[in-house]
Amino acid sequence: MSEDAKAALPNEKPEHPYLEYSVIGSLINNFSTRFCAGCGYGIIANIFNRFFQDEKLNPQQYPLVIGVGCYTQIQVIIHKDVQKIWVLHGRAAAVATGMKMANPKLKPIIFSGDGDCLGIGGNHFIHACRRNIDCIIFIFNNSVYAMTGGQAAPTTLYGAKSSTTPYKMIENRSDGVKLALAAGASYVARTTVAHPRTLMKYFKKALNHKGCSVIEIVTPCVTYFGRKNLDSLGREIGGEKGDKMDSGGKMIDWIKKVTVRRNQAKFMSEEELFNKYVIGEFRYDPDKPEYSEEYEKIQQIAMEEK
Amino acid sequence: MSNVSDKRFLPEGKHLMMGNVAMAEGAIAAGLKFFGGYPITPSTEVIEHLAKRMPEVGGCCMQMEDELASINAVIGASLVGAKAMTATSGPGLALMSETISFAANLEIPFVFCDVQRNGPGNGLVTDPHHNDIGLMRFAGNGEFGVIALAPINCQELFDLTIVAFNYAETYRCPIFIISDAYLGHIHEVVSIPKKEEILDKVIKREITDESDIMYTYTYLDKETNQYITPKPFIMGTEYCAKTIIQQPHGPAGFPVSANKAIDFIKGIIDKLNNNKDKICLTEEYLLDDAEIVIIAYGLPVRAAYRSVDLARKEGIKAGIFRLITVWPFPDEKVKNAIKNAKTVIVPELNYMGVIAEQVERVTESGIPVIRIPKVCIFHHPDDIFKVIKEVAK
Repeated sequence: MSEDAKAALPNEKPEHPYLEYSVIGSLINNFSTRFCAGCGYGIIANIFNRFFQDEKLNPQQYPLVIGVGCYTQIQVIIHKDVQKIWVLHGRAAAVATGMKMANPKLKPIIFSGDGDCLGIGGNHFIHACRRNIDCIIFIFNNSVYAMTGGQAAPTTLYGAKSSTTPYKMIENRSDGVKLALAAGASYVARTTVAHPRTLMKYFKKALNHKGCSVIEIVTPCVTYFGRKNLDSLGREIGGEKGDKMDSGGKMIDWIKKVTVRRNQAKFMSEEELFNKYVIGEFRYDPDKPEYSEEYEKIQQIAMEEK
Repeated sequence: MSNVSDKRFLPEGKHLMMGNVAMAEGAIAAGLKFFGGYPITPSTEVIEHLAKRMPEVGGCCMQMEDELASINAVIGASLVGAKAMTATSGPGLALMSETISFAANLEIPFVFCDVQRNGPGNGLVTDPHHNDIGLMRFAGNGEFGVIALAPINCQELFDLTIVAFNYAETYRCPIFIISDAYLGHIHEVVSIPKKEEILDKVIKREITDESDIMYTYTYLDKETNQYITPKPFIMGTEYCAKTIIQQPHGPAGFPVSANKAIDFIKGIIDKLNNNKDKICLTEEYLLDDAEIVIIAYGLPVRAAYRSVDLARKEGIKAGIFRLITVWPFPDEKVKNAIKNAKTVIVPELNYMGVIAEQVERVTESGIPVIRIPKVCIFHHPDDIFKVIKEVAK
């Protein structure tokens, strides 16, 4: 190989521009995670770090409330200055409600998964949306309970195989966005890790929004969802069974295939939208009264009363 | 919020109030800033009263969607520096126990008022039954210590709630107030002390000098070999670990490996055990020459006073050793109280005799421990007096 060709090849890994801001990067000056190959949480964490650093957000104003799931390990690669608490399974929305009401200056950011937020913590999620409490709820939807070994989740798509549905999933999935809309969250959006720019856009909008923001992020789980399923999820389309989804790239392709933009979805029938993720912004209502602000008014009334 | 609101303290003097209300007023006087609750008989008056009073003092009272949410909101509030509390009954405690162990392991302080009723589920909901005493001590999974205080009248509900909040700030563990359906609904006169007197007693939740504090969790002081509990950390300030985790952790908040986990467990349990002489409040009544000692807590104490008076009239040497602090169990103090006793009587408002078992544990063999169990009905002084007379024969 000629010297010129050698110089053209990168002999070291390219430098991670936000390495020093992540917890692990600040400790060992190298990037390492506990996530499987092809996992989407690395993308989410790095988008978070990038946004947090670029916007120079005050880490003490945004406590991070992390639920239980694979994404709990995000605390290793997340921004080093953010104060984060790892709470009980499903209770993140309730803890954040307490934080917000005890100190209305804070704006809690909740990381929760599909099982955490729509399964065990479904009730807390509904009521946080209903009160329109000022916080950001991220739902990482990877369709399975990945940390415990790939069991079916409330969001598992119809026909998909998982550890506890070895033949096929016969339950209807719960839709976090529809649930949030019905419960009354004032900012609701869905995106995927295959659309990182929109994720940043939505995150920024949620941070500047006073009210309950729900952002569902569709993310791939290669190990427990991709390896077990064909991209057709058991449905034969034109006599073909579908392809295996055993790598990160294939799953990202699959995610792109099953997502439909909201303005396209308007012209599609229910049947066409079956097992599809509609992405986009579903509601943005900045005028909706926020709970902690309304409570401050109550405090004013009570204090003035003799 | 830092200014003390005028409405925080009731006017000095005597007030007629319900037990649940007295407890709620005690909490406000102690600086309660967040209450999260869910209506459950017989504790409902607490949330009803606080819903009116909390906004007046610049605090927040929230009715959450269920018990799980209320206790989690309480620890969320406590994490960001508010004195927080919840009130519920047995079924609520059963649901909340998961979070109680979580909070105890992370040393998040809060006060928990358990207005006990007969259970399980919808038992006899307006009848008192001390059936949560064991659950309070062993709630949830994981190993940890708790403090439980047992008032016997409305005045003590007010006073001990202030003590409970101070314990929460000092020892950073779940503090229970043992109330029950009778005590919660009884109406009695409560004398409220002067505003300044209360303020002197109350320990504030504030970080005076952040640089002074080395650790955010309990640590073992190498020189004195004592566990030292720093002030509760506050999220949103400098004095807080960057990552708050559930795993066994060292005093600075970093996770420890399996072979060090025992040091962590030791810390959160021995911080209470080593301070038993400060935590364990007790009361003695005619105990100096007593041959028959009644050990009791909560409502049965009130009946015991009368029965001991009756016994003394008949020349029977009976006395009372009252546990104000039920958990941690004051082993040494009980041993000391019954060293001259010939018989020990434990009237308790449950059949299992959770505390009677503890008394048996510390009693020397040869001294009988007689239980007087009652369920859903208040002990009549005669019930205890009868037993005293039989024993004295």
